[in-house]
Amino acid sequence: MSDETIDDRVEGAAEAETIDFANDDDVAAPRRRLLLTHEALAALVAELAAAGTPAVAPAWAGDAGRAAGATAAARETEYRTVSGAAELAFGERLPRLSLKQFFLPPTEVLFSWRRSGGGVELVSAPTTFEDQVVLGARPCDVAALPIVDKVMNWDYADELWNARRAATTIFGLSCGVEDDSCFCSAVFLEPAASRGSDGRLTPVEGGYLVETFTDKGEAFVAGHDALFTELAAGADGAALDAQAEGFRAAARERVAANLQVDHGRLRDWLDHHFDDPFWASLGPRCNGCGVCASVCPTCHCFDIVDEPESVGRGVRRRNWDTCQTCVFTLHASGHNPRQDQNARFRQRVEHKFLIYPLKFGDVLCTGCGRCSRACPTGQDLAEILADIDALAAAGEAAS
Amino acid sequence: MTGTPTAQAGPATTGAQASPQTGTIYQPDLVIVEAIVDETPDTRTYRLRFADAAKAASFSFRAGQFGEYSVFGAGESTFCIASPPTRTGYLECTVKAAGKVTGGLREVDVGDVLGFRGPYGNVFPVEEWQGRNLLFIAGGIGLAPVRCVIWNVLDRRDSYGEVTIVYGARSVADLVYKRELEEWAARADVRLVVTVDPGGETPDWSGEVGYVTPVVEQTAPRPDNAVAVLCGPPIVVKLTLPVLEGLGFADDAIFTTLENRMKCGVGKCGRCNIGSVYVCKDGPVFTAAQIKTLPQEF
Repeated sequence: MSDETIDDRVEGAAEAETIDFANDDDVAAPRRRLLLTHEALAALVAELAAAGTPAVAPAWAGDAGRAAGATAAARETEYRTVSGAAELAFGERLPRLSLKQFFLPPTEVLFSWRRSGGGVELVSAPTTFEDQVVLGARPCDVAALPIVDKVMNWDYADELWNARRAATTIFGLSCGVEDDSCFCSAVFLEPAASRGSDGRLTPVEGGYLVETFTDKGEAFVAGHDALFTELAAGADGAALDAQAEGFRAAARERVAANLQVDHGRLRDWLDHHFDDPFWASLGPRCNGCGVCASVCPTCHCFDIVDEPESVGRGVRRRNWDTCQTCVFTLHASGHNPRQDQNARFRQRVEHKFLIYPLKFGDVLCTGCGRCSRACPTGQDLAEILADIDALAAAGEAAS
Repeated sequence: MTGTPTAQAGPATTGAQASPQTGTIYQPDLVIVEAIVDETPDTRTYRLRFADAAKAASFSFRAGQFGEYSVFGAGESTFCIASPPTRTGYLECTVKAAGKVTGGLREVDVGDVLGFRGPYGNVFPVEEWQGRNLLFIAGGIGLAPVRCVIWNVLDRRDSYGEVTIVYGARSVADLVYKRELEEWAARADVRLVVTVDPGGETPDWSGEVGYVTPVVEQTAPRPDNAVAVLCGPPIVVKLTLPVLEGLGFADDAIFTTLENRMKCGVGKCGRCNIGSVYVCKDGPVFTAAQIKTLPQEF
């Protein structure tokens, strides 16, 4: 469509050292500051359920987790539409899957087709969606959305992604439950990052400090005004602010201890070490299952397939896909540009930390750590990044 | 899981009575198969016309661009547009039966309805090549994208210098566009060299015998004021690029296409990455100079 050539990319590579990762859509200053008590949160969920507005929130994945005395391993949570406060699992472990599924479903119909007479009739998939609200999403899951917005909108706009984005209001939750796999602070975020959020909840005594950042966030609060208490600039507000900031600062410090990398150095190493022996150390401990992509909030690759429903009619779907399978790049001729798992794992790392930054000015990773937690063979992305950063540092020192 | 659709499905389009395209960027326009030509035992050329007259009238593309072709029920696949932009009212693709969609195409008859999305990707800068000598090199079905450029140039013959075409296939039976090869051979303003791999010749074969790469080395014209266009299986491209360089062709005067697997064609699905380019949007046309800046992952 365009006459754009990779010369643009080559120029981009020259500038890569100076990519500005300042999150232009990260909103620093809250517009309104309010208090939402635990009771008011319960009332809010009930109000939304009564109004028929889907409210997506971290919720207990099963009764086992909710039960008193449940082991840590049993306390599994997931994002889903909730209808009552008892289902909410705020402040627990990261939900099993990210928020991605609410914007790019694991499978969705693009259109349906039907043969009629000598012709074919196509019926478009709807591209408008009912308004929904997300409450208490992790900052790493929310920040993934504006990052993926970029690939969904360069030149061609993905109407399905965009329409779901437009129909959704998101309140993030300042995170205080990081573990060894988390590294949001190493990818330009932090446990309370506001990027992509219309508003943010931060735990304080008796409930949550609520800050709004966007028109959408303000409109939502205005629609449920009776449940929120405006914080005056006086002593009460200052005390809650101090509590909230204390909560956020402690989390920042804990997660920063997990990983620190120099992205300019890392990117430069990736750009010049396509054939480095390092990659051969990763393939053998990857079995190509692709679970890392399924749980990832930023992995967005998809497949497009036809699914016959009966004689002469069917649907075309797009399904989540992963670059970790051998068939991902397999040509019909049998030729495969990525012949082994080393090359496939390299693609995963390069797409996130070299290709996407060069192309879109953003790292395609929010440091949620799900890939490391989910990997059946113990592949650990924070560890891999630290290893590459060390190689890059050694290279710099030697030159 | 996701917001429930609130709108009823959009208006429908039919092969018989088509309205303008609706739906998402992933929904194709309907096209009608106007003609099918058997090129080889496993390869056919399909001539397609948009079902919607307004779409047919407004459709345009440039040499090098590709499309996503649908066989409803089998799926969608990526092929170049093999007909030249200088011939309007239809578009052609040449397809070897190898996978699910290409296999599905074998079942298609004249009059059947298929889908087309496109044109996508960048272009061969044929306007910039005016006044220059052109060397076209193709291996196997790689002649399809080159054919588009060849006819584009021959339809504007006066604007270009010498035209040399070197084409090779596995065997005589595997040569595509046989009638056009005869037509080009008969023209005084085209030099055509056709070769088949050793063992692929027939008793009455009068062309060259040998792989494309050495035949190019032996028969290529001088590189002065010349542009080379090279398309074929990855192995042919990989082996022939250094040969062209050895002959004196400059890196930025050698053009090729990368044929990575694609699904969406519009820079979303992530399948066609090489290094930091998306072949579907930054390509499929690249110069040898550009190829050198990429990881050799094609």
